[in-house]
Amino acid sequence: MARMGMVFDLKACIGCNACVIGCKQENSLPDGVFFTKTLSEEYGVYPAANRVYIPTICNQCEDAPCEKVCPTGATYTREDGIVMVDDAKCIGCSTCAVACPYDMRTQMEAESFLNGLFGDGELTPFEEQGYGRYTPGTVHKCDFCSQRVDVGLDPACVVTCPTNARIFGDLDDPESAPAKMIVERKGRPPLPEKNTKPKVFYVN
Amino acid sequence: MAIADKVFSGDTFKVGYRFQRHWDNSMAYAFFCAEAGAGLFFVSMLLGSVPGMIIGLIPVATGKPYFHLSHMGVPARSWRAALRPDRSWISRGLLGLSALIGFGGLLVLCLMFGSQFGVEANSAAITILKLLAGGFALMTMTYQGFAMSHSSAIAIWNSAVLPLSSFIYSLAAGVTIARLVVSSAESATLVDAQLLLLLSVGIMHLMLLHAAWHGTPGARTSTELLLQTNYAKWFWGLTVAAGIVLPALLVWVAPTSMVASIVACAGMLVGFMAWRILIFKIGLYEPILSMNPFNPMQ
Amino acid sequence: MATPNPNPTANSIKSGKWIRSTCKMCLHTCSNMIHVTDDGVINKIEGDPTNPSNAGKLCPKGNSGIMRHYDPERFKQPMKRTNPEKGPGVDPMWEPISWEEALETTAREIKKSVDEDPRKVLPSIEDFQKMHIWNWPMAIGTTNFFQSGGTMCGGAYHPLNGYVHSTFGAVNDAPYCNFWLSNGAGDGFSSHLHAAAQSHWVAKARVERGMKVVTVEPRMSIAAAKAEEWVPIRPATDRHFAMAMSYVLVEEGLCDYEFLRKDTNAPYLVGPEEKFVRNADGQMYVWDSSDNRAKLWNDESIDNENLALDGTYEVEGIQCRPAFQVYRDTLAETSPEKTAELTTIPPDTVRRIARDFAKAATIGSTIKLDDGRTVPLRPAAYNYYRGAQGRKTGMQTNQAFQLVNMLIGNIDHPGGRIGVTLTDQCVDNNHCFPGECGQMLGTPHQLGPMPPFAWPPNEYHLGGMFPVGVHPPHLNMLSYTEPEKWGSTFTPDVIVNCHSNPVWSIQGPRDKWLEFIKSMRFIVCVDIIPTEMTDFADIILPSHDYLESYNATMIEPPHTEGICFRQPATEPLYDTKSEEDIFNEISDRMGVLDNYNEVINIILGFHQKEHLMLQPGIKYDEKEIAERVGKLWNDKPIEWYMEHGHSSTERRLDKKYRPWEGMRLNFYIEDLVTEREKLKATFKEHNVPQEIYDEWPFDDYQPLPTSVLDPIHLEPEEYDLYGITFKDIQMNFGESLSNPWIKDITYRDPVHSGLLLNTQTAEKKGLVDGDIVLVESPHGKLYGRVRTTQGMHHETLGVSNSLSRTKTESRSVLTAGGHYNDLLPYDMTNTDGATGQPETSCRVKLTKLDDWPDFLKDGMSVYSFVNDLENKRGKGGQH
Repeated sequence: MARMGMVFDLKACIGCNACVIGCKQENSLPDGVFFTKTLSEEYGVYPAANRVYIPTICNQCEDAPCEKVCPTGATYTREDGIVMVDDAKCIGCSTCAVACPYDMRTQMEAESFLNGLFGDGELTPFEEQGYGRYTPGTVHKCDFCSQRVDVGLDPACVVTCPTNARIFGDLDDPESAPAKMIVERKGRPPLPEKNTKPKVFYVN
Repeated sequence: MAIADKVFSGDTFKVGYRFQRHWDNSMAYAFFCAEAGAGLFFVSMLLGSVPGMIIGLIPVATGKPYFHLSHMGVPARSWRAALRPDRSWISRGLLGLSALIGFGGLLVLCLMFGSQFGVEANSAAITILKLLAGGFALMTMTYQGFAMSHSSAIAIWNSAVLPLSSFIYSLAAGVTIARLVVSSAESATLVDAQLLLLLSVGIMHLMLLHAAWHGTPGARTSTELLLQTNYAKWFWGLTVAAGIVLPALLVWVAPTSMVASIVACAGMLVGFMAWRILIFKIGLYEPILSMNPFNPMQ
Repeated sequence: MATPNPNPTANSIKSGKWIRSTCKMCLHTCSNMIHVTDDGVINKIEGDPTNPSNAGKLCPKGNSGIMRHYDPERFKQPMKRTNPEKGPGVDPMWEPISWEEALETTAREIKKSVDEDPRKVLPSIEDFQKMHIWNWPMAIGTTNFFQSGGTMCGGAYHPLNGYVHSTFGAVNDAPYCNFWLSNGAGDGFSSHLHAAAQSHWVAKARVERGMKVVTVEPRMSIAAAKAEEWVPIRPATDRHFAMAMSYVLVEEGLCDYEFLRKDTNAPYLVGPEEKFVRNADGQMYVWDSSDNRAKLWNDESIDNENLALDGTYEVEGIQCRPAFQVYRDTLAETSPEKTAELTTIPPDTVRRIARDFAKAATIGSTIKLDDGRTVPLRPAAYNYYRGAQGRKTGMQTNQAFQLVNMLIGNIDHPGGRIGVTLTDQCVDNNHCFPGECGQMLGTPHQLGPMPPFAWPPNEYHLGGMFPVGVHPPHLNMLSYTEPEKWGSTFTPDVIVNCHSNPVWSIQGPRDKWLEFIKSMRFIVCVDIIPTEMTDFADIILPSHDYLESYNATMIEPPHTEGICFRQPATEPLYDTKSEEDIFNEISDRMGVLDNYNEVINIILGFHQKEHLMLQPGIKYDEKEIAERVGKLWNDKPIEWYMEHGHSSTERRLDKKYRPWEGMRLNFYIEDLVTEREKLKATFKEHNVPQEIYDEWPFDDYQPLPTSVLDPIHLEPEEYDLYGITFKDIQMNFGESLSNPWIKDITYRDPVHSGLLLNTQTAEKKGLVDGDIVLVESPHGKLYGRVRTTQGMHHETLGVSNSLSRTKTESRSVLTAGGHYNDLLPYDMTNTDGATGQPETSCRVKLTKLDDWPDFLKDGMSVYSFVNDLENKRGKGGQH
């Protein structure tokens, strides 16, 4: 069966955060919630200073700690390797959130559904048609746009990235773009020492 | 690298450490109620003190559930937390807690009123109840440490010391409170036990923090947070001074003084509570990826 | 594949339809697709993969359109002001009125001033996607202009591109480029042409072909962060860097001499008065070194390789040099060694970069194009834009950059520096025309002709005094503050504002600008959401947003051509009208509808296909105009455009590469010498006062760059830092900071949440990260909080555009401690006499403060928001 994964090309990423907003659009995320973020890091000493842009996302770990600690079974892995969250089963205990070494789990706070994206207590039609998928208090995360994947589309963040810094596909298929890139450009997962077996890799 | 040079991201998009705040004060109160209560219940049971057992069961049956429900994102669904004892310490804990309340309550009832129904204090039924209640109390005293140490995410929690520390702290709290509520001939033993347990609590802290200081960058930074920022005054002042040193001194110097015992108890519990809160506050997520060849995140 | 979810919750998968359209979150036109649910709610916007320009990509702004569309602060109906008091953030106390009343009032008030004197009307209209709206003022006969357009981005850039490429813009040819030098520009990383599209092209080049990037800038921008090398440079010294590079190319023999001899006027002989040497018939001379004599440029015995580029010669008794030699002589003053102290770039670095650049250019190599032509391949190019070109010496500064490109022969060659037209209008339109004596005609009037000269001036912004420039709206302040000196014979009293925010974007003294605006008798604003400008309106005419309207345009796509079509995804949410309807109505009521229709015909080029021309007496709506623009391009009906969304194809090779074939490019711009002389004569003819003649910067008209210092370097020494401003992709070319999604990503980025100061410099000044400072220039001030970084030139203060909003009625805009533009000058000393381009950097000094001034303590500022983010320790995921 497939094993969906992603590669982040650190050479390509320009830190524009189009992915962040593409994701917020796709997933009707409330204020302050991000399922993916592109971070920046400055290092070195002027004039030999550097900055790098580092996209981050749920790593859909093969040995997902969030799934292991979930007391209700709300967090589960589906056949193609995507780690899913069943909103109806989640009790919002946040144990998954403290189990994730990457801090990729987010609790949907009731306040944000009431205040709205403009903070004025009124929801826009966009929010009204979207917020229903979340029970306030539950703890969610990126699911690689599983519903898009099911109809043969790539995740929203991948599709919008202007520099093709996000490469998505089946890691079990040696001809897939991410599988090839991991081999050719020596992809490495984040925090491998945490032993969660991430399915997201970074190349320089 | 000093803590002042490390990057804390807050809610920005900088690569850096992020504070763990999912488990916050509510959880800390719940943990405290469970451990102190179960510890007291256990010690009281061993000493045969029904009042002690009742006082121990109260926070376990009220405080712990209340604070957990107030932490829970969807309290109405909380019963689902019991569904995965095969993998989740939360499930195991909930089941164990329920069993403790059930069997413990039943034990208390039997001890108080059992003789009216022909159940004597030394009967097999009571013994079985004691074993069950005691077992689940031990589990309650320990499982929260396991829940924290179970995953590798929050480095300073990822230590086998934590369940041990939970257990020792519970026992220490149990003994400390028991000395006030249990009138018993073993008071000298209790004093020794209290001193030994306070010492053990101190050793637990030492072990945890020493390992963390020399551990992963996340654990090291958490320790720096605890000892080098404004958290330090709470740690040294409450957890160490009020929670360990003061009670130890008081008990050693005035073992028979009720006032000393009360102050020692108050100090110990305040120190314990402070620790529960602090260990959550200093929890950190490590930077996911650093491209910096000079590695300032160490 | 798993079974699709029958009740999807992912927005793009929900039941609905996709509409192909065009983005309008900046002035360019990436193609997009809008998803509308069955209930008519727009719930996703994605890029359209069928347009080869942005290839399905959208930048963060394009992704945020929904939050513009559903912004609760959108204007919902026409309104009039009932509070006579006007000021920043002062509640206008809007009262809703009918369209009839709104349009009637507007038309009446504008007409009142037009009848007295059309020059009393100040149009403040600028929309690159709707040039026909922008040029509405032609219908009422005013050439005034009150909007920053051009001067804060590419004022001098455009005329100079007109001279070099005969185009509006220019870009490095990413598909073939191997060495991309980036100087004060954001193409491919953060801004400028079709940001999402260009980022895509540049990333492909970098990742797939290993294109090397070297970035020369005061700030470690995104272009610098991604580059193989960042070279920090002192602001406003980029011309000297370019000339130092040129020095190396020339002195070390690294130029494309064949190109210079054959395809440019570099061999043409220049006499002592900066003009080409001509014979009695006006034909120009060159020197044939094989015969060792002067010949006319079109002498058939000439073999290009024998044309002299160096040396001094005598022709008919006149001492002369080839234009190349003239520049060579100037470059002697700008060697890397001589410019090092000014630019702070070590000479060895300049030499190395110049040599690497020349080597990467593979001078002499060729490539066969798909259209069968074999052309030079020059895969090295110098990209420059706003930050580097915004100088008082704008024209010659831009030329210095282009000359680096010209010296290695990459102009309009694969891999090199490509001209980008604003719009072609018809597919077969070429943009290059023959000029004098085999040269290409220089076309500086890329945004349309400048108004004819008049003294006293007919424009409040003195535009008629800039025959080859771009509107200089900051000079409105000269007429306002010194009307007698500048010959004002009229006082503007009406502002017609549409799709523009001059309160935000014009540079100069804020208090005086606000006074100027308050002095207007009548202000009408056509807009979507409240802005700093609409605070001052008397009437608000709300327009459709881009998800509710039609349009068709081509607007300087870098590697493609064709029309991008916009169509409504939903019915208008509110009682708004299209801008076309609004201006048709106003024109009709003013009796200038026929004028306006003719303006549209001219501007949109409908004369080229007569059946498309707008006829007198008819009001053509947005759809009809869009339809005509589409048909003008490729004769396709609107139904075709509604289905396809665009007619964008890769740039036709004959228009992209060497469109000027057979003509010589302007290495030497003699036209500028001619214009200078003409202008001087015109000044005299029109009796312009001697005071103005004496101070007028005629010397800014130069046929080649010089080594003169920009006046910014001569400001008092107490201002010991240089201030610069910048935008990244979430903010470029538009207003987006009112958008919650854009705010989300902007203020979480450290470079946009404080005043950037080099860490070591801060230390020397006793400043630390987080200190509150007062920033002062000789012209104005602003407050802010220091953010120390290793990524800034040691003498530079960086003020992101995110820290520039001032108090407005809009609740969602976060104000900062003032506006960077307040620090900038507005006078002629700091304005390019040739183009009207003002200086866009400034000299500043910092004073540490103990606390914020009162106006920043209300908790609504950028800095409070950033504080919250940085110190967030809240519960749950939003931490």
